[in-house]
Amino acid sequence: MFQNNREGLALALPAAIFTALFFLLPVGFLLSEAFKVDGMWSMQGYFDFAIKPLNQTVFLRTLKLGFLVALTSAIIGYACAFSIVNLEGKSRGRVFGLVVLPLMISPVARTYAWIVILGRTGIVNDAILGLGLSDTPIRILFTETAVFLGLLQLFLPLMIISLVSAMENLPKDVIPAARVLGANWLQVFTKVILPLTKDGLVMGGTLVFTGSLTAYITPAILGGSKVLMLETLLYQRVNVANDFVSAGIIATILIIMSFSANLLLKRIAKARS
Amino acid sequence: MKKLLALSTAIALISGAAYAQDKTLTISVYSFGMDAMKAAIFDPFEEVCGCDVVIETGNSVERMAKIEANAANPVIDVAVMSAHDALALSRKGLWQSLDISKIPSHAELYESAKDPIGDHMAVGYGFYATSIVYRSDLVEINSWSDLLSDELKGRVALPNITGTQGPLTLMMLGQSLGYDDLTFSDTIDAIGESADDIVTFYNRSSELAQLMLQEEVIAAPVGRFAWSRFSGADLPFKWAEPSEGQTGGMNVMLMTKDNGNEELAHQFINYWLSNEVQTRVAELKLDSPANATVVVSDEIAESLTYGADLINSLTMLDPGAIIDNRDAWLERWNEKVVN
Repeated sequence: MFQNNREGLALALPAAIFTALFFLLPVGFLLSEAFKVDGMWSMQGYFDFAIKPLNQTVFLRTLKLGFLVALTSAIIGYACAFSIVNLEGKSRGRVFGLVVLPLMISPVARTYAWIVILGRTGIVNDAILGLGLSDTPIRILFTETAVFLGLLQLFLPLMIISLVSAMENLPKDVIPAARVLGANWLQVFTKVILPLTKDGLVMGGTLVFTGSLTAYITPAILGGSKVLMLETLLYQRVNVANDFVSAGIIATILIIMSFSANLLLKRIAKARS
Repeated sequence: MKKLLALSTAIALISGAAYAQDKTLTISVYSFGMDAMKAAIFDPFEEVCGCDVVIETGNSVERMAKIEANAANPVIDVAVMSAHDALALSRKGLWQSLDISKIPSHAELYESAKDPIGDHMAVGYGFYATSIVYRSDLVEINSWSDLLSDELKGRVALPNITGTQGPLTLMMLGQSLGYDDLTFSDTIDAIGESADDIVTFYNRSSELAQLMLQEEVIAAPVGRFAWSRFSGADLPFKWAEPSEGQTGGMNVMLMTKDNGNEELAHQFINYWLSNEVQTRVAELKLDSPANATVVVSDEIAESLTYGADLINSLTMLDPGAIIDNRDAWLERWNEKVVN
């Protein structure tokens, strides 16, 4: 497009300078605190952080919930995306609109709704009691289940959107062709749909996984201080203990987890093709 | 050169003029009920002193960090906070002793509010009692130990240890279970064993109010300042009077070291402690008076921590003990309760 690279670089310069000055530099300063002990460069903070049982529990819980949310949203997401791309014209637009709609509502409002739904007198417990599945209401609030449900509802639309755009690029006749050649639906999915939509899956998976790792409001409201996640622990370290070093360590761990998830998903996608 | 001279003269004039008008008091306060507090205390004081009152708010940690960061050149003149936060900063030498002769209202305070952290570094301006709020149609609470009873399994919430109410609850629960030391180890272990039966460890009284109104929780320890959230509700809530008594705490007012605004700061502290202002604040149910001469109606008293009998009966936790043990409590709590 440009006669030489210089013009392109010149156009990118303002955005690059802005990002460097107002994002990379301050974040670098903040995170560098996590690599210092008494003013000297050291990894000791990370060792001290890693040996505490609570930190281990919180780290594994965050990883587990992030993985489960990403996996579940991929399963539901494929089903949704498949049915959406098979709809015609207006109905496709309407259904897609319904998927996007929750993204326009504040996560705080959406999460508070879960308190009402999952509470002792909420509809979930009403249904459980009504169907005779239990004699007493089940406690769901402030458990990992509540955080899982909240995160899933929060990030599922991102997975569906990524998969819909990937599936729209799927040639129309590859599925009938596979069926004609004798593939069952499982084979169609694993051998045809999955390889051809893997970029969408990588994109959606990264968004959902990183979103789940870094979400604060949902774990704070639905998990409270009993189900701590890395984000809520980070907040506690800063706001209660004024401990910016631990907070920097947690932030660094979160950034590394996010990048690793993206790299890992890309690697898996590459290996499959 | 002429231009430079003119410019510097202008700057000198402007700054001189600004200095002449510069009668500003900067205070660091809780953000709770700010509009009402402004109307009841800060705005009227501006008229009394003919000065500007600049208000800084935030949570305790933020406000304390700001005071500490600016210790060499204080930006805050007067601060209010809990007695133990005040003591923590006092140990770092960030406050200066108050000149009691400049605070005539001081003589009217309850004894425990007169010098709560020693050396006249602070004065108490408000008390709060802490007890258990419960659903009187579903349970009966007679002791702090009832919090861990079978009846309340799965229906009780406790304040988080990181808040002000947490350690108070641990102290009273410990006393009721027969543990008396300030390490709270046995009490924390007992809570840890029952952790699955505790709905949550709440951080804000508003959070607890929602859970109780939604019938998720039917009993929890809470500060009296939040009682109005429950007393006005349709559900039958009751304020417990446990056999071990109620606990509570005090918020204090302090003056930063070398702020250069001492006259105005003393005037402000005296104003807030005066019968007039303490009565006004009490009648608006914003804070419970530390001035013993304040008289309010029974209806107002019902929402407050009011009266010598109640205030003198509160089992308070020594601010020094909180600071000395806080890290150990949190460590054990993280290990035994939330892990």
